[in-house]
Amino acid sequence: MNPIIERVRKALGVQAGDGRERIVFAKSDDFVHCADAPVAPEERAGWMDGIRAEAKALNLQVHECPDLAACGAAIAALAAERSPEWGTLRQIMRWSDPLLDGLGLESRLPADIAVKVVPEADSFAENERQDFRREVIASYIGITTADYLLADTASIVLLGGKGRARSVSLVPSIHIAVVPAGRMVASYRRMLSALNARTLPSHATVITGPSKTADIEATLVHGAHGPREMHLFVVGAVE
Amino acid sequence: MHSQTPLKYRELAAGAVKDSQLHRALGKMRDKVGRNAVNLYNQIAPGQDSRRAAKAVRSRIVDNLDVVLETLAENIRARGGQVFLADTGADAVEYCLQVARRHQVRRVVKGKSMLSEEICLNPALEAAGIETVETDLGEYIVQLKGEAPSHIIAPAIHYTRDQVGALFAEKLGEPYTDDPPSLTAMARKALREKMLTADMGISGGNTACAETGHVTIVSNEGNIRMTSTMPRVHVVLLGIEKIAATLEDHDILLRMLTRAAAGQKISTYISYVGGPRLPEEPDGPEEFHLVLVDNGRSRILADPDFREVLHCVRCGGCLNVCPVYLNIGGHSYGSPYCGPIGAVFTPLTRGIGECSHLCQGETLCGACKQVCPVDNDLPRMLSLLRAKLADGDPKWDVRPQSRAAKLAFGAWSAVMSRRGLYDALLGLARLGQRLLPRRNGWITKLPGPLGGWTRGRDFPPLAAESFGERWARRNRDGRDA
Repeated sequence: MNPIIERVRKALGVQAGDGRERIVFAKSDDFVHCADAPVAPEERAGWMDGIRAEAKALNLQVHECPDLAACGAAIAALAAERSPEWGTLRQIMRWSDPLLDGLGLESRLPADIAVKVVPEADSFAENERQDFRREVIASYIGITTADYLLADTASIVLLGGKGRARSVSLVPSIHIAVVPAGRMVASYRRMLSALNARTLPSHATVITGPSKTADIEATLVHGAHGPREMHLFVVGAVE
Repeated sequence: MHSQTPLKYRELAAGAVKDSQLHRALGKMRDKVGRNAVNLYNQIAPGQDSRRAAKAVRSRIVDNLDVVLETLAENIRARGGQVFLADTGADAVEYCLQVARRHQVRRVVKGKSMLSEEICLNPALEAAGIETVETDLGEYIVQLKGEAPSHIIAPAIHYTRDQVGALFAEKLGEPYTDDPPSLTAMARKALREKMLTADMGISGGNTACAETGHVTIVSNEGNIRMTSTMPRVHVVLLGIEKIAATLEDHDILLRMLTRAAAGQKISTYISYVGGPRLPEEPDGPEEFHLVLVDNGRSRILADPDFREVLHCVRCGGCLNVCPVYLNIGGHSYGSPYCGPIGAVFTPLTRGIGECSHLCQGETLCGACKQVCPVDNDLPRMLSLLRAKLADGDPKWDVRPQSRAAKLAFGAWSAVMSRRGLYDALLGLARLGQRLLPRRNGWITKLPGPLGGWTRGRDFPPLAAESFGERWARRNRDGRDA
């Protein structure tokens, strides 16, 4: 038995194994079920307006595309316009995800822009990890999908896993997220409720706009240590 | 952490109240964040009740902390993370040093952690020959300057842009500018190199989810994600009380936290970190350590009068509205936790008697309670600390501060509870005050020990007729008397 846990019990005047887990981990019915609660079509119809309004203040650039082909073309145009912040190499790193395969970036980009894909394997040797690390650091754009898009804050939620490296949304100067419109949920609470119903992976991140700071005279500056530019591509129509 | 004396507090505070540059800097925090917080809480239905809802969540967790801690540790370990419960700050520091030695760490990058200031981690790492780099922009500025943070959330808020410009010109060899975006870009460049080459990352945490086994880290700059993603080893320092039980708890707690801390609906990044990288992940730390630090917290937990202070989510919101903090700045407090929350928490962990100046320096105006996202009754606890200083309390190792003060409060209490005696003394005082010097109708100097009051301000004379007397006369003589 850990002495600090023992001391905490003594301080609280409680015993181990007295069934308090039921109280501590109790959840409200509203929380447990809100992810499945039906959403009125009028409410859903207003979500994109909400996201656009939030995005403006966040310096997050929102693009709506009818399909993946249009999205791929728009991303290729964007990549061609931008130049790297560090060094001169123009390289893109993207998650390994069928949705991103559908962008067809390799054929749309100018010849001098390379697209690398996060390797998928059951395990990685030290040298393979070092190679991947170098490639991410050398990339000026990182492309990911997202598991949820939160309508009330314009946030995206990235769950970790195979082919979904953590650094792709972090180390490159520009982060592009491609999200099908069907992955929109109303709020942070709804998203937490959905996560509550599944097993949370070892790593998850909620991202709301490009990195920022207000540490000098409380003045807002976009582009701190994470991406300085962020684009959200919403693909397809809101059902 | 450097120790602080009442004398030093007075000296630093006296200097700070004359520092108009400091007041301009802090005024920005007050205007941009402090005044806005309560309006933002009201966006979360059901308005003001969101503070009570958050309080209820924190109190359920703190009242069952043993269960929440055990569950968190179990779930983190199940995913391959290592968990250490540290009794004291020194134990936590020693643990970090051991991890660093085992990995032959030469450079540590740090995400903002007030707990690391509390346990004096940086000097210990530096003494062990490990380069230690703060990566939060504000922390980086104060580190370059060789100072301590002056605000829980905005460590360098006491600096103006031209001071930061001069600092970067001197330390980074950059051309002078006072433009915040250009200054931020300079730090971005300098720190990116550090973050990509460090062997170990150390960060704080904002909370944790016990049920799923994740530490929850909130940031805007992305430096903490760098710290937790790029180095081989990631260590999280967390006070034992800061954790949450479920994802539902995160809903209200995080929404209140970001509003109170920065006036934001949500911060740029909320990371749920559940352990080291899994075999199928090509990046992320190979080792993950969670250090849960007691350092006096379980002693607070045992006292029902003060347990409430452990509900604090360290948003810094009470600083931004506190008339004392806004005038004397964070450094006067001599503790990583400044402002009203520091004036309660610091004495309870360092000694109520040693830190008597902190609770006595606050005004009890109540602004901190009104803005607190978990509705912490800090004024109540400040008053209680003062009572302990006057009466003494063996349980907290407090001796009565002065026999005279104890006698005076005893006499005050005797007078206030006896109407006749009170009226008689009031009459005497009314006669006596004629002898005191006045300016514009105000008394400029009170006699004896009361003179402390008039050292910095005037005192209003007693009215010719007190409210009680007037009320009695009105009842006796009829309404219009």
